[in-house]
Amino acid sequence: MPQFEQVGVFSSLIFWSLISFAILLYLLWRYAFPPIIEALEDREKKIRDDIDAAERMKQEGQKLKADLEAELKKAHEKANTIVQMASDESRKIQERTLHETQAKVRQMQEDAQQEIQVLHHKLLGEIRGYTAALTIATAEKFLKKAIDDAEGKRMVNESIDEVIRSLEKQARN
Amino acid sequence: MESPLHHFEVHPVIPIHVMGVDLSINNAVLAMWVGLAVVFFFFIVVVKNGVKTIPGKLQSVAEISLLFIRNLVDEFIGKEEGKKYFPFVASLFFFILACNLVGLIPGSYTITSQLVVTGAFAFGIFILTLIIGFAKHGAHFLSILVPPGVPKIMIPLMIPIEIISMVARPISLSVRLFANMTAGHTVLAVLFGLAMSASVFLGWLPFGFTVVINGLEIAIAFIQAYIFTTLTCVYIGDVIKLH
Repeated sequence: MPQFEQVGVFSSLIFWSLISFAILLYLLWRYAFPPIIEALEDREKKIRDDIDAAERMKQEGQKLKADLEAELKKAHEKANTIVQMASDESRKIQERTLHETQAKVRQMQEDAQQEIQVLHHKLLGEIRGYTAALTIATAEKFLKKAIDDAEGKRMVNESIDEVIRSLEKQARN
Repeated sequence: MESPLHHFEVHPVIPIHVMGVDLSINNAVLAMWVGLAVVFFFFIVVVKNGVKTIPGKLQSVAEISLLFIRNLVDEFIGKEEGKKYFPFVASLFFFILACNLVGLIPGSYTITSQLVVTGAFAFGIFILTLIIGFAKHGAHFLSILVPPGVPKIMIPLMIPIEIISMVARPISLSVRLFANMTAGHTVLAVLFGLAMSASVFLGWLPFGFTVVINGLEIAIAFIQAYIFTTLTCVYIGDVIKLH
C-alpha cells in the first residue's frame, strides 16, 4: 500500500495537515464561529423571551377573561335586578293609575249625578213656580170676567205670555 | 489494468526540504487545501452576507451544522465546559469532513486515507486529553486508571488494562478513519477499473455500482467525520468528568 511504502512523504503530510488544521481552527474561531454562534444564542434567547412573554400574556389574558366573565355575570345579575325592579315599579304605577282613574271616574259619576239631582230639583221647583203662577193668573182671569171658549183660549195665552214675561223680567233682574 | 491502490500515491508538486526534512507540497496537501478553502469560504460567505435573525439557506446550513456539533459537545463534555472546546471540535469535524468529501472528486486525493495523518490527529487528541486531565485534576487524574467500584485487590490488574485501553483509543480512532477511507476509495477504484476495462455491454454494470458506491461514500464521509468528532468529545469528556 502506498500509504505505508512512501515513508518519505510522511513528514510533509503530518506537517501540512497539522498546520492547515491549526490555521483553519484559528480562522474559524476568529472570524466564522462567533457571529453565527452569537446569532444562534440571540435567537434562542429571543425565542425563550417570546415564549415567556406569550406565556405571561396568556395568563394575563386568562385572568382578564375570568375578570370580564365575572363582571359580565355581575352586570347580568344587575340588569336582571333592574329589569325586575322596573317591572315591579311599572306594575305598581299601572295599578296606582288604574285605581286613581277609577276613583276619578267614580267621583265624576257622583258629581254628575249630584248635579243632575240639583238640576232636577231646580227644574221641579221652576215647574212648580210656573204652574203656580199660571194657575194664579188663570184663576185671576176666570174671576174677573166670564169668557167663551175662544175668549178663554186667548186669556190662557195671554196668561202664559204674562207668566213668560214675568219670568223673563225676573231672569233679567 | 492499473492497481486500485495507485491513486493513493503521493506526488510532490512543490518540493520543499527544510534541514533534510521533506515538507514538499504534494497532491494530497493541495486537495486538502481545496477542501479547507471551501469550508472557510462557505463560513465567510455566511458571515459576510450578514448573520440575520431569520436565516437564509446558507446560514441555515451553517447554523444546523454548528448546532449539531454544539449538541454533541454539550452532551459529552458538558454545557459550560463544552463552550471552551466547541471551536476545536467543530473545526476538527469540518476538517475531516472536507478532507473526506474532497477525495470523492475524481483525480483528487483523500488525505484522511493516510494513516500518518489520521494517526497524527488521533495522537494529538490523545495528548490533548492528557494535558486537559492533568491541568484540571492534577495527580488525581491518574485515578482514571482505576474504574470506580473496583475491589482493591483488582487494582494492580486494572491499571495495565486501563492503560492499554487508553492507548488503544488513538490507535482505533486513527485506524477506523484511515481504513474506511482507504476501503471506500479502493472499492471505487476497482469498480471503475472494471467498468473501463470491460466491454461496453458489460461495463455499465460496474459503472452503475461506482455511482451507487459514490453515494454511499458521501454518507460514509459524513459518518466517519461524525464518529471521529464524537469520540474526541467522549475522550475529552472522560478526562474532564473522570468516569
